[in-house]
Amino acid sequence: MFTKFVAGIFDVFRRSIQVRYVTITVALSVAALVAVGGFLSISIGNGLFQTRVDQILQESKLATSEVQKTFSATGNTDVVSLQTLVNEVIPNLEQNIANGSRKVALLRSPNQATNQFLQSPISGELEISDIPVTLRVKVAETSNRLVYRSITIISQGVSHPSIVVGSKVVIPVAGDYELYLVYDISDSQATLDFMQSTLALGGLAMILLLGIVAYYVTRRIVAPVERAAMAAELLAQGALDQRLPERGEDVVATLARSFNRMAQSLETQIGELSKLSKMQQRFVSDVSHELRTPLTTIKLATEMLESKTDELDEKAQRSLNTLVSQVARFESLLSDLLEISRYDAGAVVAEIEPNNLGDVAQMVATGLEPLAETLGCELIVKLPSKTADADFDRRRIERVLRNLISNAIEHGAGKPVEIQVGVSKSAVAVSIKDFGTGMSRSQMDRVFDRFWRGDPARKRTTGGTGLGLAISLEDTHLHHGWLQVTSKPNQGTTFRLTLPRREGGIFTESPLPLGETLSQRSRI
Amino acid sequence: MIQKVLVVEDELLLNQQLTDLLENAGYEAVGVTDGNSAFAAFQDFNPDLILLDVMLPGKTGIEVCREIRAVSGVPIIMLTAKTEDEHVVEGLEAGADDYILKPMPSFKVLQARIEARLRPMRQSEVSELILGPLVIDVLGHEVRRDGVRVPLTPLEFNLLQTLAESPKQVFKREDLLKKVWGYHYDADTRLVNVHVQRLRSKIEDDPDNPKIVVTERGVGYKAGQF
Repeated sequence: MFTKFVAGIFDVFRRSIQVRYVTITVALSVAALVAVGGFLSISIGNGLFQTRVDQILQESKLATSEVQKTFSATGNTDVVSLQTLVNEVIPNLEQNIANGSRKVALLRSPNQATNQFLQSPISGELEISDIPVTLRVKVAETSNRLVYRSITIISQGVSHPSIVVGSKVVIPVAGDYELYLVYDISDSQATLDFMQSTLALGGLAMILLLGIVAYYVTRRIVAPVERAAMAAELLAQGALDQRLPERGEDVVATLARSFNRMAQSLETQIGELSKLSKMQQRFVSDVSHELRTPLTTIKLATEMLESKTDELDEKAQRSLNTLVSQVARFESLLSDLLEISRYDAGAVVAEIEPNNLGDVAQMVATGLEPLAETLGCELIVKLPSKTADADFDRRRIERVLRNLISNAIEHGAGKPVEIQVGVSKSAVAVSIKDFGTGMSRSQMDRVFDRFWRGDPARKRTTGGTGLGLAISLEDTHLHHGWLQVTSKPNQGTTFRLTLPRREGGIFTESPLPLGETLSQRSRI
Repeated sequence: MIQKVLVVEDELLLNQQLTDLLENAGYEAVGVTDGNSAFAAFQDFNPDLILLDVMLPGKTGIEVCREIRAVSGVPIIMLTAKTEDEHVVEGLEAGADDYILKPMPSFKVLQARIEARLRPMRQSEVSELILGPLVIDVLGHEVRRDGVRVPLTPLEFNLLQTLAESPKQVFKREDLLKKVWGYHYDADTRLVNVHVQRLRSKIEDDPDNPKIVVTERGVGYKAGQF
């Protein structure tokens, strides 16, 4: 499910230029904004912190020097007075400040010779442990200098970013003490947070805006390209009247103009060609029709003569026989021409009905027995155990089989001809195999061509028209079937006809084998 | 009795050849070569059968056929070099009984078609048949509806009689072609369809909703039940 979703997104990304460019634009601007925003955020943060620190250090310096001054100036050296002074001065430091508050701690420096006798005052909410040990070490090492650290004080569960400033204070008699001033800088942090969130929001808005801008810009460029692609696709599918709107002088307009010119010339040329082709088909059809009437007359005249055969001498009778047979050949040639011209004109409609290919093959073979006997050839019909019922135009398939079988008999050199019928779930097939003269590869490639003859000098027993296989192929294609041939010189030829069992059915394999050298003709 | 055949064919040589062959086969034949003189020749000659070409100078074969059909039920066989369906159907709808394509396989085939049309009606065991509102006078070759004579061609009469004689039987188109037209093979079932339509237009109250000659879907035709 998820992978499908991802695949879907990837697919959209791959297919749509627009999605791709908008995505790239947005991704790049996100990267740029993150870099700029990060830099801004960090430098502003640093600036803010530094300003605050400077301010704090100044205040601390003032406070420290005042405290030192106060202690240095006192004349009292007894513990009680000093303690009182300490208790007076130190808590005062909590309030005495420009903004906010600070916490204070006065701690006795460790490792002193004198004993501690003053109590160390410390603000509430401040623990000695809040003051980092490293800072105390540092303070102990230095004198007359302020040292600071950033710390976080947690009070009532809320963490407060703070700065602690430490310095050394010398109290007469009592010795070295460390004064720690702790400043809460939450307000600065809040300012920084606010600034960062403003920056982030602004950045988001910017990205969104950039996305929209990118969308519109790419739309302007991609839309005409998409239109052109669509028009080209339709044109390729044969809609020759597709044109693009030509607006302006830019590259898109140039594309549209060139496309339109190309489409125009394509339309003109295809129009010309189809007109020529129609004229030619028309011509063949007209010629065939025109020839029919004189042919009818000749035939009837021949019949008249035939009824008077007794009155003719031997030579005249022979002439008459020639006339009769040649008229018959002329007629079959003419009807084949008409048939092929009907195919060329696309005027052929199959009469598809339920039939049995086995029956048809058997019937055609039986009909051709006399011819086979004349040429001393045995016809072997092998039917499958299952009935090869299928939907086809019986008249046309009969014609195909008659043509293939009579060809096989004629070229079979008197050897047997095998007619095998096969049936599978989706297809029916007949293969017609002879063991005669066979064909070379180049002959095989031309075998379905119109008026092509394998051997022009060959004796024509059946007086074929040279159109038989061309018509057979058309008949087969009308059924969306296959007509294939394989052949080897002096070994024989096999033709295989495969038809879908049901009209519009799809098959991928013939129920019968053909042989090794396969030459599939699937001209449409 | 010598039977007379009128040949209407514009191709002079073919026309001559046909009349010669017909005469050779024992008919009396007259040839006409254009559509305009065909009707006059029909009236003068009063043929028993007409061979009529479709493509004619002057009036077309279709027009001639319609003209003759308006006054006579004489058997008409159309000759057509055009294999296109529209001409065949048009000719049949104009009243032709049968058609034959040029070039005809042989004169013998044409002769068989002619003889099928000239053959006398089958003898029936009954002299009169009743089919709904129709009275079919088999001997008199007449059909009356409410006492009024309905003009039918011999072929239409034959078709109606065949259906009426077996009122329960459904006839396949091929059966009718065999019985009425005399075809034994290679038949065009449109012959039956067109003639049933013509017959209905003459005898039915509403030819679009027939009661006398009923279509049995997917099979053929039968006489209506009354």
